[in-house]
Amino acid sequence: MMQPQQPYTGQIYQPTQTYTPTTSQPFYGNNFEDEPPLLEELGINFDHIWQKTLTVLHPLKVADGSIMNETDLAGPMVFCLAFGATLLLAGKIQFGYVYGISAIGCLGMFCLLNLMSMTGVSFGCVASVLGYCLLPMILLSSFAVIFSLQGMIGVLLTAGIIGWCSFSASKIFISALAMEGQQLLVAYPCALLYGVFALISVF
Amino acid sequence: MPGPASKRRVPMSQPGMADPHQLFDDTSSAHSRGYGAQRAPGNLGYPATSASPQAAFLTNPVSDMAVAYGSSLAAQGKELVDKNIDRFIPVSKLKYYFAVDTVYVGKKLGLLIFPYLHQDWEVQYQQDTPVAPRFDVNAPDLYIPVSLSPPAMAFITYVLVAGLALGTQDRFSPDLLGLQASSALAWLTVEVLAILLSLYLVTVNTDLTTIDLVAFLGYKYVGMIGGVLMGLLFGKIGYYLVLGWCCMSIFVFMIRTLRLKILSEAAAEGVPVRGARNQLRMYLTMAVAAAQPLLMYWLTFHLVR
Repeated sequence: MMQPQQPYTGQIYQPTQTYTPTTSQPFYGNNFEDEPPLLEELGINFDHIWQKTLTVLHPLKVADGSIMNETDLAGPMVFCLAFGATLLLAGKIQFGYVYGISAIGCLGMFCLLNLMSMTGVSFGCVASVLGYCLLPMILLSSFAVIFSLQGMIGVLLTAGIIGWCSFSASKIFISALAMEGQQLLVAYPCALLYGVFALISVF
Repeated sequence: MPGPASKRRVPMSQPGMADPHQLFDDTSSAHSRGYGAQRAPGNLGYPATSASPQAAFLTNPVSDMAVAYGSSLAAQGKELVDKNIDRFIPVSKLKYYFAVDTVYVGKKLGLLIFPYLHQDWEVQYQQDTPVAPRFDVNAPDLYIPVSLSPPAMAFITYVLVAGLALGTQDRFSPDLLGLQASSALAWLTVEVLAILLSLYLVTVNTDLTTIDLVAFLGYKYVGMIGGVLMGLLFGKIGYYLVLGWCCMSIFVFMIRTLRLKILSEAAAEGVPVRGARNQLRMYLTMAVAAAQPLLMYWLTFHLVR
């Protein structure tokens, strides 16, 4: 299978193109042009992300159980980062605590939901839902940049936003896992988790 | 002989299609023409010039085997973890402890705060054999089934409220949350171990499992939370009032619950039996119940100034 040696016509330190890409073009073209776009390969689907964000932002809208079928961690990552960034604007460099608390909280919710529901959940689904519902908390911490939340208004605002977060999280969990009569029981641990985040952003 | 052997090792080689200007044997093209069409959707976009050796790597049957082996190894590892976790923490039994719904939790909390009126604490009997708790989850009026969900929530709420209390006194920092959580957990462990030790020493035959014990001991956190919240809202007076009330309630609750479990059946039905063994058990029950208010005070007084 050795090709007949052809005389080397190039110069010693200059690479010469000794094969023409044209004959190989169909092979590479097959792969390169048929490749799916990068975002699709990475699994980042902006339309879905936007839909899930809208579901969180409208707490009274009934959630669709199937939207959580693809576990997508890109949105939650962005929200965690944004939360840490707004905390940074308020002078608290606490990225490590945000990540640590969200990891422990996701683990705890995962264990609890697996024990409480008939069908199991996957960790990615839990992490994804909890991450999306962190969005109102970003609102709270951006308020904390402008005025201090330790007065009565701050307390009411904090309580309202914790309620909003945990309500939408429990709504999505209930519809995705089909657990009836347990919405409050799911909302309470979510409220505890978001309460910890609120504690970091208020104090 | 390496020459003919290498020729034989390259199947489907078609000399006519090879480019005469190529420096190397493009063994990938023959393979990949067959594989390329199938793999194009799954290919990660390697740049064109280096696709050839890497595509050859991907289509190499050895790497296929490696991928298959790796995924089977992962599946085996997961099985191993599941089996071992099942040995230490019986997950299906744990599921029973968490099978609650909102109505049940509401009733249980009401019972914790106001146990004085509840009359019937006995196990429901059905033809001389006690009904298993499994069937009684929906009828909490006649039996007090144990669930781990309220105590677990109460524990975490306690840590949160402690953080809140410290925050209003400007003593908050996020690592204090971890500190509070671990110290409360340490006290809980000490308590459980002490009670287990004393049960062993008194040689009592109970059906009180460790999880039951943890659940019972976790109920006091509800009272602690109430006390600290009232202390935040109304100062020391509110704190002492609510804490006093919750201490009494948890005392009564623990005595009534533990009486069923620790004392023998004759004594549990209200007939006072004089005997050294039963007296010892009674003392043990009283000691356990009395330790609860003490711990409640110890764990919360530094939070309310």
